[in-house]
Amino acid sequence: MMPVMEPIMEVESSRSYIDELYSPDAARCMDAIVRLKNSVIGSNRQKGSVIQQGVVPRLLQLLGDNVSSNNIKIEATITLGSLAKGTEEHVKALVDMGIVTLLINTLGSDDQKLVEVCLCCLRTVFQSPCAPVELIYDDPSLVTHLLNLLSHSVSNQVCITTVLTAACKNPENQNALCEQGAVPALAALLCSPHYKVQMPSLSCLANMCFQNSNVSSVVSTSSYGGKSVPDLLVTLMARDKPSEMQMGAARCLTYMHRAGAISAEDTKILYKTLPCLVRLCKKDRPPGERVLAAETLAYLTEVDTELQRLASISNHLVPTLAEFLRHPGARGLTTNNNNGADGTASSPPPPSSSSIPPPPPAAPLDPSSDPLAVHHFSSLPSSPPSSFLMSGSPAGMTATAANAIRLEKEAQDMKQAAFRAFASLGANDEDIRKKIIDTDNLMEHIVAGLQDSSPKVRLAAVRCLHSLSRSVQQLRTTFQDHSVWRPLMQLLQGAGEDVLSVASSTLCNLLLEFSPSKEPILESGAIDLLCQLTRRKDPALRLNGIWALMNMAFQAEQKIKSQILNTLGTDQIFRLLSDPKVNVLMKTLGLLRNLLSTKPHIDHIMSLHGNQIMQAVILILEGNHGAEVKEQALCILANIADGDSAKEFIMSNEDVLKKLTNYMMHSSVRLQIAAIFCISNLVWKEEGGAAERQARLRDMGVYKLLQQLIVTNDTMLFDKVKTAMTQFSES
Amino acid sequence: MSYTEKHESITKDDWMSRLEGLHIQRADMNKLIMNYLVTEGFKEAAEKFQQESGAKPSVDLDSLDDRIRIRDAVQGGRVQEATALVNHLHPELLDNDRYLYFHLQQLHLIELIRAGRVEEALRFAQEQLSEAGESDPTVLAELERTLALLAFEEPDKSPFADLLHPTHRQKVASELNAAILRAENCDWGDGSSTPPPRLTGLLKLILWAQEELDRKKIKYPRMSILASAVIDPPTSK
Repeated sequence: MMPVMEPIMEVESSRSYIDELYSPDAARCMDAIVRLKNSVIGSNRQKGSVIQQGVVPRLLQLLGDNVSSNNIKIEATITLGSLAKGTEEHVKALVDMGIVTLLINTLGSDDQKLVEVCLCCLRTVFQSPCAPVELIYDDPSLVTHLLNLLSHSVSNQVCITTVLTAACKNPENQNALCEQGAVPALAALLCSPHYKVQMPSLSCLANMCFQNSNVSSVVSTSSYGGKSVPDLLVTLMARDKPSEMQMGAARCLTYMHRAGAISAEDTKILYKTLPCLVRLCKKDRPPGERVLAAETLAYLTEVDTELQRLASISNHLVPTLAEFLRHPGARGLTTNNNNGADGTASSPPPPSSSSIPPPPPAAPLDPSSDPLAVHHFSSLPSSPPSSFLMSGSPAGMTATAANAIRLEKEAQDMKQAAFRAFASLGANDEDIRKKIIDTDNLMEHIVAGLQDSSPKVRLAAVRCLHSLSRSVQQLRTTFQDHSVWRPLMQLLQGAGEDVLSVASSTLCNLLLEFSPSKEPILESGAIDLLCQLTRRKDPALRLNGIWALMNMAFQAEQKIKSQILNTLGTDQIFRLLSDPKVNVLMKTLGLLRNLLSTKPHIDHIMSLHGNQIMQAVILILEGNHGAEVKEQALCILANIADGDSAKEFIMSNEDVLKKLTNYMMHSSVRLQIAAIFCISNLVWKEEGGAAERQARLRDMGVYKLLQQLIVTNDTMLFDKVKTAMTQFSES
Repeated sequence: MSYTEKHESITKDDWMSRLEGLHIQRADMNKLIMNYLVTEGFKEAAEKFQQESGAKPSVDLDSLDDRIRIRDAVQGGRVQEATALVNHLHPELLDNDRYLYFHLQQLHLIELIRAGRVEEALRFAQEQLSEAGESDPTVLAELERTLALLAFEEPDKSPFADLLHPTHRQKVASELNAAILRAENCDWGDGSSTPPPRLTGLLKLILWAQEELDRKKIKYPRMSILASAVIDPPTSK
């Protein structure tokens, strides 16, 4: 059937054919549809024009009624499919008029060709973020029906896998698809001779496996043609396969590993997936691919130290990632500081390492941002100009300006990918951290990244900084020289929850370093910020806040201690001591311990807040807490007992003294030790008033108890008891 | 790659005798030729070749009809006819490849200019083609070249006359043909998915190999003219 030979390129002049759409004469109606179709294919302007002229409802009507012939329905659907290949607005118009429901309903038709073109149209519509993909799940038998349609044609295979990929957005979707038998179907399609079928099948499997241990387990044990799916995936990662295919397969295996279905020691991960991803980061690969490879690598190595080690020595990965930061289009660095001298001195207490929920990889459940999707589903592989035409750049912008924006975004994507990869690699191993930090200008890049215009880059830079801040060595050297705290503090002001969590953990680590550089941090409002954090609903943030304050108080000057106490307030301390999370409670006690160290400080603080502090300690000792918590409280008492005037707070409190004697005989050795330590301080003979205190305690039977305890087998306890006993003068 | 000893330049005779020592199967040659004929749409030639050589075409030769008609339409300057045919066979093709669509429209514009229908040409350019030029500077440049033809009394003597030359039509026809081949399930029965004709690939391999040797500054007998497979003796220096 030959289409009409009227000039199809002059549309706006002859509107009559649009009227013919409404003709009762089937032949004339058909002609009109074909002319309409030919006028809109290839031209966004035409698509917009006919949509405005209101043809869509008529096309939908023709598709949905029960009088039009299948041929008419087919042409109408094809036309709608073309309209869906226009701009975002065009697709939205179609969606708003209910195209998706109509297409789904038509999938039950007997006419295979009609079903095929409906699937094509559906696939196109589903590429748009506004598409109501969840409608797929309304009818419980639809997915099964779709899977049955796979056998009818290659086109169906391509379209259905793409549709399912787009519709797989959350755990419910993943489980629904799995239950309805998608996995065996997809496994078979992985073996298709057609690249354009294999690719969306890979994407679909990846989306289904992501963070879903149940589905991942099913996939890992499925097989086709005698080969297990993981083995099939390894075949698709071979070096002679197109790189997009290698990437797709590597992603699947990565997600399956992280979801627990494949172990980190499996050769498929160690010797296939990991090297593949490292390779795809290399300079010769296109930027989009490198970004996805680095992000996937970051996700793969995020928690396993062995994988981190292996990756860091693979194929020059670290320099390769460093090169991401120098991608053209990136704003250059303005400073060029040298790295500082190496530090010496004794090692401070170990840095905090609060756990943070792992970052998701490059939006895998969002097909429109998946490079795989962009390359193959919205446009067939062709020369770059057509991709420009497809995307429909914003009206009024010149091509050069659009290009500059694209380059800048590309550079930002590369930076954040590199930071994330570094963050994973440097998470646990000191040698790897050293290697990363030794990278040229890395700290400057990080500092610049903390202030980048893109929130994604800022977050990634903080994550990277956080991993590096776990290094005691780096805290003393590199971090000092680069004043990372300044942009970090800026970032913390008014930051969103995700940044706040990582940034406050990092700050926590930075504050471990007891050096003059704490001053500037204080001046930029750190204490206020941290106190505010302790009031947040998110327990991770509360923990970071109080932990950071605890670190800050460690061996700090009196005025800092006072500032902390005053800003936090004893009310808040009490609240924190009743926190449902025991680690928050512990750090609060830790803070009190740190505050109450060195005699003058102890006396000063107790003189101001002594009553509340004693109350707090009693609260803990009387509460229903484990031994490690009570031990902290007893240590606080011991610190108080170390002061001069502060000692009186304990000695005058009959109840506390009684408790101390009880704890001396407690079943838990650590509590005994702590209690005796306190006693030791109270009776220390070189301090004024020791004689009276010793007499008082002797009257309470403390000396007798010590005599009983001296026979203990526990060396630490023995030492403490011995020390205490020798303080008592001859009676 | 490093050489442990410096090789002396190979003579053309030595080269040719080495070449002659290699044996290519006749059946392979026939497959290559059949593949070429089928890809390029020479249906009758393919049928005759099948009769004479026994080589089997990888697809049903009747399926070539459509591609042949389209190619004929383009080479005859009947762009609308070709477009309508492509849209009938592969409705998504031109939507997916806007650059190709632009080339077809550009060809239509050229035909209008060639026929002297200047006003129609201008109107067409304004209404249809300007859209493509908006977002892509390459396209814009090509569009401007095309419109520049209108500035000349005798466009076929202008600097842009190449657009009016029949080879331009052939270029577009080949471009369209290649796109159609990609859109069809490129299952040529032998499991490959690279767009034929294989012959092109082989020739490209020769060019590539020669380029590599040139890059490493090796002297060897070079094939200077592909069409006649003429091999020159190595240049002496």
